[in-house]
Amino acid sequence: MNVHITPTMLGQVVISGILSGALYAMVALGLALIFGVMRIINVAHGPLLMLGAYTTYFLYSALGINPYLTVPVSMLVLFVVGVLLERTLVFRVVDAPELSSLLLTFGISIALVNLAQLLFTSDLRAVEYLTGSWVVGPFALSKSRLVAFVFAGALTGLAFLFLGWTKLGKAIRATSQSREVAMVCGINVQRIHLITFGLAAALAAAGGALIAVIVAIQPEMGQIWTFKSFLVIVLGGAGNYPGALLGGVLLGLIEQVASLFLTTQLSEVVAYVLLVVILLVQPTGLLGGRQT
Amino acid sequence: MTRRRAALAALAAVVAVLAAYPAFASGYGVRATLQVFMWIVLASSWNLISGLTGYVSFGHVAFFGAGAYAGAILVAKAGWPWLPAALAGGVAAVLLALVIGYPCLRLRGPYFAIAMLGLNEVLRALVSYFEGLTGGGNGLSLPTLDATIPIYYAMGASAAMVTLVTHAIITSRFGLRLMTIREDEVAAEAMGIDTGRHKLYAFLLSAAGPGIAGALTARDQGYIEPISVFPLATTITMIVMVLFGGKGTVWGPVLGAVVLFVAQEVVWTRYPYVHPLLFGAIIVAVVLLMPRGVLGILQIRYRLPRTI
Amino acid sequence: MTTPVLEIERLRKRFGGVIAVDDVSLRLEAGRIYGLIGPNGSGKTTLFNCITGVERRDGGRVRVSGERVDGLRPWEIAQKGVGRTFQVIRVFPELSALENLLVVTRGHLGGARTRALELLRFVKLEGLRDEYAGNLSYGQQKLLEFVRVLMRDPTLILLDEPAAGVNRTLLNDLLDAVRQLRDRGKTILLVEHDMKVVMGLCETVFVLDHGEKIAEGAPGIIQTDERVIEAYFGR
Repeated sequence: MNVHITPTMLGQVVISGILSGALYAMVALGLALIFGVMRIINVAHGPLLMLGAYTTYFLYSALGINPYLTVPVSMLVLFVVGVLLERTLVFRVVDAPELSSLLLTFGISIALVNLAQLLFTSDLRAVEYLTGSWVVGPFALSKSRLVAFVFAGALTGLAFLFLGWTKLGKAIRATSQSREVAMVCGINVQRIHLITFGLAAALAAAGGALIAVIVAIQPEMGQIWTFKSFLVIVLGGAGNYPGALLGGVLLGLIEQVASLFLTTQLSEVVAYVLLVVILLVQPTGLLGGRQT
Repeated sequence: MTRRRAALAALAAVVAVLAAYPAFASGYGVRATLQVFMWIVLASSWNLISGLTGYVSFGHVAFFGAGAYAGAILVAKAGWPWLPAALAGGVAAVLLALVIGYPCLRLRGPYFAIAMLGLNEVLRALVSYFEGLTGGGNGLSLPTLDATIPIYYAMGASAAMVTLVTHAIITSRFGLRLMTIREDEVAAEAMGIDTGRHKLYAFLLSAAGPGIAGALTARDQGYIEPISVFPLATTITMIVMVLFGGKGTVWGPVLGAVVLFVAQEVVWTRYPYVHPLLFGAIIVAVVLLMPRGVLGILQIRYRLPRTI
Repeated sequence: MTTPVLEIERLRKRFGGVIAVDDVSLRLEAGRIYGLIGPNGSGKTTLFNCITGVERRDGGRVRVSGERVDGLRPWEIAQKGVGRTFQVIRVFPELSALENLLVVTRGHLGGARTRALELLRFVKLEGLRDEYAGNLSYGQQKLLEFVRVLMRDPTLILLDEPAAGVNRTLLNDLLDAVRQLRDRGKTILLVEHDMKVVMGLCETVFVLDHGEKIAEGAPGIIQTDERVIEAYFGR
């Protein structure tokens, strides 16, 4: 493996890593919210992202709407889907053993993927909107990735503002710290669960919508995102919301660095090996502990 | 006791019929029964780790695929006979389980579940990467050999073996200790049960069967490729079979494997796209409406012992 | 001086910025009943969790019969002869009453069975031995959890609120059982809110407030200690 790494290559890697890292962070924040507030790992998180991608695709291809304008629409649609899923199915397993919630969301994820396959077929579909790159000095910045970075950064920022400054956001954080305390303080915990689930689905949908402009989409695209989002959470420390930001950027950088030395296939293996090694060394994640 | 004797007699009769079956059956009949055996091996193995300890393995097909590749490589590249290659497939799967299980099982539930979800993708990537050995995306062809009937017996013996092992475990204190992990892991540890080691043993046992079944299937089909031995659909199917039949029981996975395989053959092949969707729906429905599965309902209604 | 059954030196545990257990030191001799009291949130259960390894301590030492146990896994500490019950009942609901006891034993199964049946008879649950533990009443589950601790024949028994939610007759049986255990040389440490139980049963009482040990002594002395009264009733 004789790779000569020039400073330019390294710079390119850092840029690409940060660009995709913001996207990872945003999507993973959704998973982290559900885990923090409801103590559920939502295996259907990736498939919800896939539905968001398809919403954007159809709005773009059928109605000709600018794909970036569809981001809020996809978020809204998936917020509703998320709320419906929580209201009908997921709320039943909030206090059940882990086994139930994992299996339930796994079942939902399979149903969503196969429903998409039935309705949309498994053909690859692409939103051909913003292609090519801007060249800045020695670096090439993929246009769609850069815009996705800006969107993801802005939406993640908004999410943190919401969590930090609004009454509802504070109630969500209180619930994730201690449900009992939240209840004592007069917070309607059922409602918080509902909103958290919808919000998480909306964040996933935003990710899906932005990804649809970057790469071709198909119904099975979601599963890997459940895994990657989880990896981001582990990197950042489970239950630690700001940790998701760091975890996202870290995963983006690691993947890019790995791709310098290895084929694309193997760089996915690197992410996995990383997960196993982290769990061996520091079971609570790199930033450790639950702090919200 | 008479009930027990009647059950044993019925079981012996079923085994005898299945043993004699290839002598008078059609080729299709033998192949279909072979498939049922395979699903019994897979479903019962998943039950050993996930049904008993509650640690959900979302990537159990990884062991099937690892066994398939280990067996196929030994047959195609090293000229091993298929039977020892099949056993080697089991060993390979157990070794893989050791590497994955040791770090991931020290943690509680979700970490393990998601790590298993990723394992599948990773193995698929690795197989594609080591083209020299595995043939990569082009797949790996095995020398032609018509051994469907001996493989039928080997797979049948594996199914019987996994079922017997499950019975032995569920009726033992080792099995009870595995169940305490599912019921309340913190309390189990406070009572002096070394949960980490128990989980690991259950996980290693649960990998052996799929490894052997994978190697046997590879030999029988004569050709394997990454998509054919690592499909997520296989994991889904084993989970559905166990949940439907009744997790944590001896005969639940067997019942689930037989019923769902037959249903799949008779009904769902006509609607190929609907059936995975239905599988998702079945998982959701079973978790919410009958978490003990069909056998669990029967156990309660007829006050059957839990150890069936 | 004999080796104490449990010796805690300057044990400390914090959650984020909150110090739950603050440099607590205790010494428990064999064959005695000790009480651990304090207002809600004073760190009693956290102390139990640190002793049994359920929670990792941030500082200090724990010795059981002279042997360091801090840093060991919960099951290792249990195997050193420490048994406990939980504030919220934690029986294994989908195991039968008998299996709940058998599961914690090793070695000869026949012997374990005899002992399990003996203990079930002791708490009058022998008729329900094949019933799922989850189907038993609250009081019955509490008794089952209590005898489950005894299956391993521990030298030190930690009871977290044994009297809570138990009716009078049952309570008297339970207290008798605890005294019998003491007479057989066991050491018992119990967390309890019911002062009548604590004062009637315990020979020495430790009082925690905000994670600190503020008093230690015979029940009669504790009752008149100013700091204790202050902790409970405020200034």
